[in-house]
Amino acid sequence: MSSFKRNNFDAFFTSICVGGFSILLISLFYYQILKGDYYLIRARNNYVRVIPERSLRGNIYDRNGELLAKDIPSFNISVIPYQIKYKKDKLFKSISVYINSDVKRLDRNYNRKFQNQFSPVDIIPDIDKKTAFKIKEKFGDDVLINPEPKRLYLYPYEFAHVLGYVQDASAFPENIKKYGYSPSERIGKTGIEEYYDDYLRGKDGGDLIEINAQGQIAGFLGKLNTQRGNDVYLTLDLNMQKAAYSAMKDKKGAFIFMDSKNGGILALVSSPSFNPNSFVTGADELTEVFKDKRRPLQNRAIQSTYPLGSTFKPVVAIAALESKKITTSTTFNCTGKLKLGNAEFHCEHAHGLQNLYAALAHSCNVYFYNVGMLTGREQITKWAEKLGLNSLTGIDLPYENKGIVPGTSWGVFKKWYMGDTLNLSIGQGYILASPIENTLVFNTFANAGYIVRPHIINKIGDTSIAVTQPVKSGIPLETLAILQNDLRGVIENDGGTARILNSLALKISGKTGTAQARGGAHGWFVGYFPYDDPKYTICIFLENAGSSYESVKVALEFLGQLKEKKIL
Amino acid sequence: MISAIFNKQLNYTPRKIVAICLLILTAISLASIYSSLHQAGKMEDLDIFYKEIIWVVIAWVILIIFSLVNYRIWFDFAYVFYVINILLLLAVDLFGRRALGAQRWLNVGGFNFQPSELSKLITIFLLARFFVHDVNKGFIKGALVPFTLVMFNVILIAKQPDLGTALILIFLFFLMGFASANKKRYFVAMIIAALLISPFVWNHMKDYQKKRLIVFLNPNAEPLGAGYTIIQSKIAIGSGKFFGKGFLSGTQNQFNFLPERHTDFIFTVIAEEWGFIGCFFLFLIYITVINNISRVAKYQKDNFARFVILGTAFLFFLHVFINIGMTLGILPVVGVPLLFVSYGGTHLLVSFMLLGIFFNICRQQ
Repeated sequence: MSSFKRNNFDAFFTSICVGGFSILLISLFYYQILKGDYYLIRARNNYVRVIPERSLRGNIYDRNGELLAKDIPSFNISVIPYQIKYKKDKLFKSISVYINSDVKRLDRNYNRKFQNQFSPVDIIPDIDKKTAFKIKEKFGDDVLINPEPKRLYLYPYEFAHVLGYVQDASAFPENIKKYGYSPSERIGKTGIEEYYDDYLRGKDGGDLIEINAQGQIAGFLGKLNTQRGNDVYLTLDLNMQKAAYSAMKDKKGAFIFMDSKNGGILALVSSPSFNPNSFVTGADELTEVFKDKRRPLQNRAIQSTYPLGSTFKPVVAIAALESKKITTSTTFNCTGKLKLGNAEFHCEHAHGLQNLYAALAHSCNVYFYNVGMLTGREQITKWAEKLGLNSLTGIDLPYENKGIVPGTSWGVFKKWYMGDTLNLSIGQGYILASPIENTLVFNTFANAGYIVRPHIINKIGDTSIAVTQPVKSGIPLETLAILQNDLRGVIENDGGTARILNSLALKISGKTGTAQARGGAHGWFVGYFPYDDPKYTICIFLENAGSSYESVKVALEFLGQLKEKKIL
Repeated sequence: MISAIFNKQLNYTPRKIVAICLLILTAISLASIYSSLHQAGKMEDLDIFYKEIIWVVIAWVILIIFSLVNYRIWFDFAYVFYVINILLLLAVDLFGRRALGAQRWLNVGGFNFQPSELSKLITIFLLARFFVHDVNKGFIKGALVPFTLVMFNVILIAKQPDLGTALILIFLFFLMGFASANKKRYFVAMIIAALLISPFVWNHMKDYQKKRLIVFLNPNAEPLGAGYTIIQSKIAIGSGKFFGKGFLSGTQNQFNFLPERHTDFIFTVIAEEWGFIGCFFLFLIYITVINNISRVAKYQKDNFARFVILGTAFLFFLHVFINIGMTLGILPVVGVPLLFVSYGGTHLLVSFMLLGIFFNICRQQ
C-alpha cells in the first residue's frame, strides 16, 4: 500500500479521535464550567424521593349497607434515617422519656420498618393527634408527622373471623417480593380481608419530590395519584351476626346461619373471638391472644373438623333407604345397648320399638347400629360424599379445611371392624367434618337435594357477584321427603331432642348431636326452617359443651332474639 | 539515518509511555471504585474493591503473558478463534446466565465471563487477517464476506441483548475496512444500506432498549424511569465543577442516586470528585494511550500487526467515547464500561490482552 494512502487513513483516524475527544471535552466544559453552579445547587437539593401517600382500602359493608370496617386517619411519628444518623440513640432516648415509653420499642420499630436512608421510618405508630403535634413541637426537624390511614373494625369481636384483619406487609417479607407490596403497605390477613385483598387494596401514590440535605422539600417533580380500593358488600347481616355472637359469647364453638336457597352466609361466628383492631395497632393484648389455650384465632366454623355425632344419622338413613335395606316401617327394638362380640354399644335409654321417625326424634343409637350393620360402610360413606362431606365447600374464606369420610379407599392399611361401622352409623369414630360442611348437608335436605356454594361476598364496588349455581346431590325427592318429615319430629315430637325450639313456632326441622370427644362431649344442632319452604339453615357447634342440649339453647336464644327484633 | 533513529525510539518509547499510562489508569480505577463504595459517610462493603484488586492482578499477569507470546500466533489461529467464539456465543444463548434482563454471562467453574467481550478481540484478529493483503479484493471478497462473518457475531450479541458491543463490532468493521486496501466506496455503500434497513432493526429491539433511545433524546420524559440515571449522572458530573469536590466527597454517588456506579457510571465518580481538571487529566491519559498505539501502527511494516494495533486503538477510543458520552447524555445508555477504569470483568481482561499483544508487536521490531 502506498504511504500516501496510509497517511490518508491515519489523518482520517486522527480526526475521528480528535473530533470525539473534542465533543466530550466541550460537553464537560458545558456541564462542569458553564452550568457547574446550576448542577451543584441541584446536587445539594437533589434528593429525589417518592413521599408515599397511602391509598385507602375499600370499606366493608353488610348486606344492608351497614358499615363494618373502614379506614380512619392516624398519625405516626417518623424519622428520616439520614437526618438523625449521628444522634439516633440520644433522640430515641429523649423521645421515649418524653412520651413515657420504652426506648427498645422505638428501636424495634425503627429496625423493622427501615427502608433506606431517605424514606421516613415510623418509630411511633398510631398516636393521637395532640400528642403527635406536641412531639413535633418539642423535637422539631428531627421528627415528622406522617399521617396514614388505619383500619378500624366497628364490631371487632363479632366479625373477627369473617373479616380477618390487616397488618403491615413488613411482617410478611415473602409477600413483598412475590406480590409487590411495599413494606409499609397493609396486607389483608385471614377472612374477607385476605380473600378479597386484591379488590380491597388500593394503589399507593405519592409526591415525587426533591429533598435537600436538611430533609426539606426542595422541588416538586410530579404526583402519582392514589387509587382507593373497592368497597365490598357481604351477605352477612349485622343484626344476625350480633345476635349470634351474643348467643355464643363465652362458649367455645361455631355458629353458622345461612340462606338455604343460595348459600349466602347471614351470620358466621367462631367463639372465643379476638379483637382484630389490636392486630392493626400491634397492641400488647396480642400476646395474650396468641397465648390463649382456647385458640381464639382459629375459625372453628371452617378450619376445625369434629365428629358429627347423631347429626350424621340422617345421612345413614338416606344410605339405608336408598340401598333398600330399610323402609319407613322397619323397626328395631332398643334395649339400651347392643352386643357385638364381647363389646357393648350403648344407647341413651332403652327406647323400645323404634321406626325411623321415632329413632331420629329420640336419636336412638341402637336403631342406627342395626341400620348401619345392614347398610354397610361402603353405602354410608358413598352417600356421605354425595352430600358434600369429605370435600371443601368452597366458601370464600381462606384456610378452609375439609373433614374425613372413611370410605373404602381411605386408610387402606387400617383394618375395618364391624365395630367401626357401628361407630360410623352414629357419626363417631373416624368421620369428621367442619361445621360449614355439616351445615351444607342439612341445607341439601332443605334445598330439595341441591348443594349450594356457601359464600359471603355479595357485591364488589357496584358489581354484584353472581351466585354459583347449586349442583344436584343425586338424592331422590321421595327419600328427601321422608327425611324432611322425620326431622320435624326432632322438634315437634314430645320426646324430640330439640322440642324446646317448638315454642318459637318457626316450623323448624333439624337434628341434635352429642359427639363423644376428649375433654367432654361436643354439642351439635343443625336444622332449617320453615320446613314447608326452607329459607334459613342454622348450625350450632359447641366444643366440649357436654351435650347437644347446650347447642339447642343457643339456637333458642338466637332465634328468640331475632323474633323479638322482628327480623324473622 | 534519521528514520532509523526514529524507528529505534519507536521500538522503545510508546511501549514505555503506554505502560506508565496503564499504571496511572489502574490507580485511578482503584481509587474511584473505592470511592464509589463509600456511602453516606461510611464504607458500605469493600468486597467489590478487594475483588477489583484480584481482577487487576490477573489482568497484569495476562498482559505479561500476552506480551511474551509471538503475535503471529493470532494470525495463524484467527479463524479457529472465530469459530470458537461463535460457539461460545451460541452457548450463552442456550445456557447463559440471565441478569438485568439480559443473557450475557457464561458460568465456567463459578466464574462468570462474557463471550461478547471476547468477540471484540477476536473480531480484530479476524478482520486483520482478512485485510492483510495490500490489494483490492473486490466488493464480495473484500467487504461483503468479512461483513457477513462479523454480522454473525453482531446478531448473536444483539440477541443477548447487548446493543453496545454489537454496535462497537460494526464500527470496528467499517474503520478497519477503511484502513484496508479495498475501495472505500464499498463500505460507504454498506453504511448507506445499513441506514436504510435501520427502521426494521428498531422493530426488533427490546422495549427497554427502545426506551433508552427515546430517553436519550429527551431525558426529562421520565424523571423517575429510564431518564433518572442520565439526570442524576449529569448532576454528578456538573456539580464537580472545575476542581471537583475532592476524593470521597462526591455527594451524588454517596447518596445512592446512581446505579452501577462502580461499573458503567464510574466516570461520574471521577467527574464529581476531581472536577473538570481531573477529567481533563484522564482525557490526556487516554489520548496519550490511543495516540501512542496508533503511532506504532503508522510505521508498522507487518500489515497484520498494523490492523491489530489500529483495531485496538479504535476499540479503546470507542470505549472511552461511548462510555463518557453516555454519562454526559450525548449518547444512549448502552452498557459500555469505561476503559481500564470500570470494575473488572471480562472487559478488563480483554483490554489488557490487546495491550499485551501490542507490547509484543513493539518488542518484535
